Amino acid sequence: MEVKINKQDSNIIVEFIGRLDTPASVEASQAIEPVLADAGKTIILECKELSYISSSGLRIFLTIRKAAAAKGGKVIVRNITDDIRHVFMMTGFLNLFEIQ
Amino acid sequence: MDLHCEAILDEYRENLPRFLEVKEEILSSLKSTFDEAGLLLAGLESRVKTESSLAGKLELKGQKYKTLADITDIIGLRIITFYIDDVDKVASAVERLFTVDWENSVDKRKVHEIDSFGYLSLHYICSRPDFPYRFEIQMRTVLQHAWANMNHDTGYKSGVEVPKRYLRNLSRLAGMLELVDEQFSLIRSELTDYRRKVQALVASGNLDEVPLDGDTFRSFLGLHPFNQLNRRIASVNQAEIQDVPLMNFMPVFKAMGCNTLGDITRIIKEYSEGAYQIACYQIGLTDLDIISSSIGPQNLCIAFILKRGGGRAGIKLMFDALNGPSESNESIAAFLVEQAQDLPFMNQ
Repeated sequence: MEVKINKQDSNIIVEFIGRLDTPASVEASQAIEPVLADAGKTIILECKELSYISSSGLRIFLTIRKAAAAKGGKVIVRNITDDIRHVFMMTGFLNLFEIQ
Repeated sequence: MDLHCEAILDEYRENLPRFLEVKEEILSSLKSTFDEAGLLLAGLESRVKTESSLAGKLELKGQKYKTLADITDIIGLRIITFYIDDVDKVASAVERLFTVDWENSVDKRKVHEIDSFGYLSLHYICSRPDFPYRFEIQMRTVLQHAWANMNHDTGYKSGVEVPKRYLRNLSRLAGMLELVDEQFSLIRSELTDYRRKVQALVASGNLDEVPLDGDTFRSFLGLHPFNQLNRRIASVNQAEIQDVPLMNFMPVFKAMGCNTLGDITRIIKEYSEGAYQIACYQIGLTDLDIISSSIGPQNLCIAFILKRGGGRAGIKLMFDALNGPSESNESIAAFLVEQAQDLPFMNQ
């Protein structure tokens, strides 16, 4: 699992590459700490190359959403695959994020 | 400028830092009082009179003031409310916070004759025991504020003659805004009464008598109507439930033909089993142990739409309403229709 963070103008792009399963989530949680500190911006979670998400992965998305809500920011989930979209739907997470 | 006025200006210069400090303290105490009371304001303005403005005042009527303490508007604040009845609430808060010099305070709302319309504002001259200078607090509604600004713009105070027809039009406008202010307050008070009645009906369980709208649905959500279903779904995987706002389901229930809260409770009763079966099928074979509280109402709506023959188009419309229109909602709808066809509730 790889997490790449890029800043573009007032946006933060967080790119998830690979499988966001339970072991990978520990590392990913640490990787997103700078994003949480700067959550007043628009945070784009780029999921084009995210092949799998577990409950731990969903918790990371939720943590980012909560931090953004607290700081007046916004979260957009971009380019999720159909499989991950189904996971979002099955858990009721589809309504929580703006998905592009 | 004579020596007397120069002395007043010197006193002003000497005390300017303290004026600025006190202005901030007053502003801060007003803000926290209004926040605590839940009073929503249209504006809260403050200023310390500038040296040039004070000099201008002294040039015009310097002899009227013996000392700087006789000038009551060195610090001036303006509280602008949305509603006319909030002006009195604000005034009462100001009375609690500061000592009001009633002799010099003016309620301009009461100075008009029955056949005249114009500037309506409440002006309090206040003081604090720890500060030797008085300050002025003006209170008015946002419409009174707009009128006062427009009126000021005509320059009537500048001594330049303004044609009577403009003044008459301003006066007509003042009368109209007074009526509008009253109507806004009336609407708010009627809405408050309606909400109280609805809350009482919801609490008493007479849900068939409660029409479905934004207010009533919000009260209904306060009863946690989907909790039982959510807990049942969560028990499939011993999942944690994340509470999320559910107001976006209101238009979906409306589109499903619900006219009262009673209609929604019947859907909960009739379709909870179907909603549960959908959840079991979807998450039962996964290790997903986190769900949002929207899963219950979402699956209820899916079960209702599928059972009523709404099919893919109906499910897509539901997700379009919840998450915004998107082509991907079509693939989700297809996925759900395929999954649900073998579920027991579809064949009962």
